[in-house]
Amino acid sequence: MILMLLSSAAVAEPPPELMLPRVHAEFLDRHCLECHDRETEKGGVDLETLPFSLETVEAAETWQKVLNSLNAGEMPPKKKPRPADEELKGFLRDLSGVLVTARQALADTGGSTVVRRLNRREYANTMEALLGVVVEVSDLPDDANSSGFDTAGSGLFFSSDQFEQYLTIGRRALTVALKLGKRPEEVSMKFEPEVSLNRFWEKQASQLLDWHEKAEAWRATEGAKAPSEFGFIDENDVSFHERLYRQKYGTFRRMLEAPESETGVLLEALFDGAVVAKAGIPANWPSGEYRMEVRVGTMAGVAGNECYLEYGRLGGGARQGEMEVLGCVKVMGTVKEPVEVEFPVEVRDGEGREFGVRQRLPNNRDAARGAFLRALAKTGLGPEPTLWVDWMRVRGPMLEAWPPRAVKQIFFKGMPWEQADQDAYAREVVARFARRAFRGREPAGGFLDRLVELYRARVEGGMKFFQAIQEPLAVVLASPSFLYLLEPGEGEGPHGLSGEELAVRLAYFLWSGPPDGKLMEVARSGRLERTEVLVREARRMLEDARADAFIGAFAHQWLHMERLDFFQVDFGRYPEFDESVKEAARREVYQTIRYVLDAGRPVGDLLDAPYVVINDVLADHYEIPGVEGAAFRRVEVGADSVRGGLLGMAAIHVMGSDGNDSSAVERGAWVMRYLLNDPPPPAPPNVPQLSRVKGRLLTPREELAAHMEEPQCAQCHQRIDPIGHGMENFDPSGKWREVLLLVGQGGGKKRPRTREVPVDASGQLPDGVAFADFRELRARIGERDEGFTRGFVEALIAYGLGRPYGFSDAFLRDQLLALGSPDEVPMRDLILGLIQSQAFQTKR
Amino acid sequence: MKSNASLARRGFLRGASACIGLPFLESLGVARAAGAKADGLTPPKRLVFLGMGFGVTRESWYPDVKRTGVDWELSEGLKPLARHQGDLTVIQNLANQFSSEAHWGSTFWLTGANRYAEAGQSFHNSVSADQVAAEVLGKETRFTSVPLGFQGPDNSGHGPGLSLAWNLQGKPVAAINTPVAAFHRLFSDDNTPLAQRQAALAQQRSVLDTVLEDAKSAARGLTQADKDKLGEYLQSIREIEVRLAKEEAWLEVPKKQPGERLKEPEEGLEGEREIELMYDLMVAAMQVDASRVFTYRQPLDTFIRSLGATISAHNMSHYSNGARQEVSELRDRRQSELLAGFLDKLKASREADGSSLLDHATVVLGSNISSIHYLTNCPTVVAGHGAGIRQGQHLVMADPKTPLCNLWLTLLRGSGIEVEAHGDSTGLIKEMLPG
Repeated sequence: MILMLLSSAAVAEPPPELMLPRVHAEFLDRHCLECHDRETEKGGVDLETLPFSLETVEAAETWQKVLNSLNAGEMPPKKKPRPADEELKGFLRDLSGVLVTARQALADTGGSTVVRRLNRREYANTMEALLGVVVEVSDLPDDANSSGFDTAGSGLFFSSDQFEQYLTIGRRALTVALKLGKRPEEVSMKFEPEVSLNRFWEKQASQLLDWHEKAEAWRATEGAKAPSEFGFIDENDVSFHERLYRQKYGTFRRMLEAPESETGVLLEALFDGAVVAKAGIPANWPSGEYRMEVRVGTMAGVAGNECYLEYGRLGGGARQGEMEVLGCVKVMGTVKEPVEVEFPVEVRDGEGREFGVRQRLPNNRDAARGAFLRALAKTGLGPEPTLWVDWMRVRGPMLEAWPPRAVKQIFFKGMPWEQADQDAYAREVVARFARRAFRGREPAGGFLDRLVELYRARVEGGMKFFQAIQEPLAVVLASPSFLYLLEPGEGEGPHGLSGEELAVRLAYFLWSGPPDGKLMEVARSGRLERTEVLVREARRMLEDARADAFIGAFAHQWLHMERLDFFQVDFGRYPEFDESVKEAARREVYQTIRYVLDAGRPVGDLLDAPYVVINDVLADHYEIPGVEGAAFRRVEVGADSVRGGLLGMAAIHVMGSDGNDSSAVERGAWVMRYLLNDPPPPAPPNVPQLSRVKGRLLTPREELAAHMEEPQCAQCHQRIDPIGHGMENFDPSGKWREVLLLVGQGGGKKRPRTREVPVDASGQLPDGVAFADFRELRARIGERDEGFTRGFVEALIAYGLGRPYGFSDAFLRDQLLALGSPDEVPMRDLILGLIQSQAFQTKR
Repeated sequence: MKSNASLARRGFLRGASACIGLPFLESLGVARAAGAKADGLTPPKRLVFLGMGFGVTRESWYPDVKRTGVDWELSEGLKPLARHQGDLTVIQNLANQFSSEAHWGSTFWLTGANRYAEAGQSFHNSVSADQVAAEVLGKETRFTSVPLGFQGPDNSGHGPGLSLAWNLQGKPVAAINTPVAAFHRLFSDDNTPLAQRQAALAQQRSVLDTVLEDAKSAARGLTQADKDKLGEYLQSIREIEVRLAKEEAWLEVPKKQPGERLKEPEEGLEGEREIELMYDLMVAAMQVDASRVFTYRQPLDTFIRSLGATISAHNMSHYSNGARQEVSELRDRRQSELLAGFLDKLKASREADGSSLLDHATVVLGSNISSIHYLTNCPTVVAGHGAGIRQGQHLVMADPKTPLCNLWLTLLRGSGIEVEAHGDSTGLIKEMLPG
């Protein structure tokens, strides 16, 4: 643990390099000033007096225009001599670089953070902490921020719809949360899903058979009778039914005649999706958390990645195998020796109460049918069943306490009907709730008066206390003191945070939610100002499961993981990448960071490590044996494995693809941004498209060669693309490959052209350091843990302080980096260091 | 904005609710359309902005620059609009000078703002043209403006924002994101008795009063920057108050149902059918004069999927000759077909004086992105006669960077909005003015 106190003296940081190198004066002189000097000022552009330092918005703007017109090839005009490629490339590189820096410098808030609204995640967590209810927030804006994290105050707008949404969500949550009356008994119900399912499939099969026999009978007449005499519309209708019979009947019969079907349900793919065995929570059971138990076994000869049972909530398409997948569990039993697996299901008011299980299936109907038809073409039947379900059972509701904790907290003196003076109690209840919702701030008297009036008006309208009180509580949950993290001082000027304010900051940093009772108590006692207490509390919070909210949100935004959901991975080409693998791949990133944090490992483990942090699903995807169970854990793979570190993770490779093919540009740019902390400038607008390469099936290297022809492209792509080439061994689903299959995008009914080339993963980093293959690339990047750690710290500062990282934060960053050498300093210490910094404990 | 000022303004507003246009004709039980003729009222002006996200196929969408004025031919991508050629204009060489975000097709499209205009901020925007129009055109309708959008993440090339609309403070305005939600907002009537609805309004007001009481203490001790930020909350409360005042004025007027019975849309529609439905809903809303200003931030990713594409919209936008370009061209055509269908319906809808909705409406389809990563020559189609412009033209502006805001200014003025300038406008587009 570190207890090094960071110096509180704010040292003025020398201004960052905002100068365009002087050597480019020559470039301007040679190519621009003839028309754009002080005297001629063609087009109103004077580049002679334009300062080389980009310290004002105006100067940056003019230079941006210079860059844009060079990129667009508009300047110099066609009649004039063109700058040499190398010369232009150098100028463009320096100008776009200094512009990125200038934009960042000009956007620098000088260390001040504007008041933050709770973002959508924090709001949901806060509501859950207050009311014990998971609220549905998908109607609220997601608060994803174009220029940083969703914790940045300036990017958290408030639109007029939002107020009413907060009210609605609050009202709904209170109705669910405030459950009074007798404690519901825990009950259970067992289902033998084969009873109704087999009857259903039997009926389907006999209808198919019936039509088939009619079709045969009609065929036997050899055209003497009309199809309509047999119940068909016309000949097409006959063929249609014959086709359905061929596609479906055999598979149904195989299923129905299998001995396993007598006592259970076979889970398999069907022409229309898959078999889903279901169980419902009866409508008269209260909402809440239930357990679903399933007795299940695998069929003989089933491959490892087919042993999973997916469970989920059913909507309209259950007959077609559709469901909202909640998770999956690997089945370790067989039909002979089945096992009981159990998973939690949450029943919410007004939502579906049916849950089901199925074998793994792509959540894409076309892809599922494609797999079925391939098997049909081979064997005349659908794919073999993989799992067998004996029975299912629901049990619940699982109650933590009764009355629920939220009810006890709100009605702190007992039930309303036990109170002598209900109106006085109403005021006390509202005041206490507001104080808690406002994170310890005292609600104003006038505000309380009005809240009580809302209650009174409802009582006078005939409502009972318990109903009437809900409205003022909902209004508290839509009030500014709840929705904004207020840190008032004496107006302008920085001020140190009070203990309670620090507790709130700490909790929203590490938990994305409010402080718990213990932290608030420590804060109120004044002890949080003592460093060792602060560090102890922060460590406790990091170890708590609530810190997953920080890890997930931070990693997701830092590494721009939203790309993981941008594309559907082409199931035809990458059949193993289904929803379960995708979710596991996402969690691998979070869980690895969680491990690095807990184990006291340095940030650099994310670049290169002899271990991975995976679960069974991902182990099957990576073909790593011996990993059982859905929990993520450290698994040794050795330094030689291609796995280990972010560069070996499926999520990163999926993000560096578009669902169909991998993209060297996306992957290379991602590595430069997040691993090398050397972001390339944003994709420039108006660069002329290369027409020569149109329509050809290019290897990644040929693509780069094309990019190199134009200086506007070359200046960035010669640095970006080779890194992506080094990652070419990973396909768009994150699996290893030695051969690259280039697939053209066949137009219309044309079969796409294809071309196979062996993967060549050699290349060099932007500074020229070469690598021969992926392992070497990873090793070279792994050596650069200093830059990576710097990038991590900058992102951490931005996330934790609620504003974009600025140059005025460089001092703080360097202090944190000074805590130890990057290959040693634990990630945890960087976080604890930030918490101890003056910036974190000051409102500016 | 200072919070104190907002609080004071609020008091003013309460007293001034009479300033909000009353639907007096309808409240007298006279259908507005019928009354229009009798009173010699001209049908109202309307504006519709359709944002397409990623741009078009530059090789086949833009008409031939050599043929301009009234003697021109529609390009391949615009062909489906042939039957409306006399009612529309295609303009080339418009652009927003400050744009440098190659994936933001909508953020600054209607505002022309400079993202970096404010030192100490990494994002800045200003009011969009539709909201300028709504300030005036929205006074007399139940809905001041109707911003439509789509569900899910922005994978369609629009950029930051909740809709195409940005309010007077340059903050994002929320959209209605599904046809079902739009249908209910625009046409579903609240069946509770009047007295109950009046009581509900009164209760909503007292809720607003309550949170404003808290806002006063929340602002105490904050820095000016923080107060400004909290001002967004107060601004939203102010907007709700305006709306409540409107709702009160309209309380006794049932929502008018569209002429042809528009059925409640299915849930979960995506892509082409979704866009078509949103168009139908806008037509229906115009027929009953529910609003006069509409924006629609259109889905592109699901749109091209619904046309059978298996690539993402972003991938399509980086087309080169081959299948991606085919997808891009297919999208151009289908987009034009959808627009043509929308214009058909606007033409077929009659105002009381016998003219059509399109005679008094302006419909713009476009994006800040022209094609791939190009931000110059923003694709722009302007249809309808609402702004009194000369229609049926193909214009290629002499200056290849003519401000897009010049077009917005021209359309705003033409629609009766007296504004001096909009965004970075430098003047009107003279070629569009009636001769």
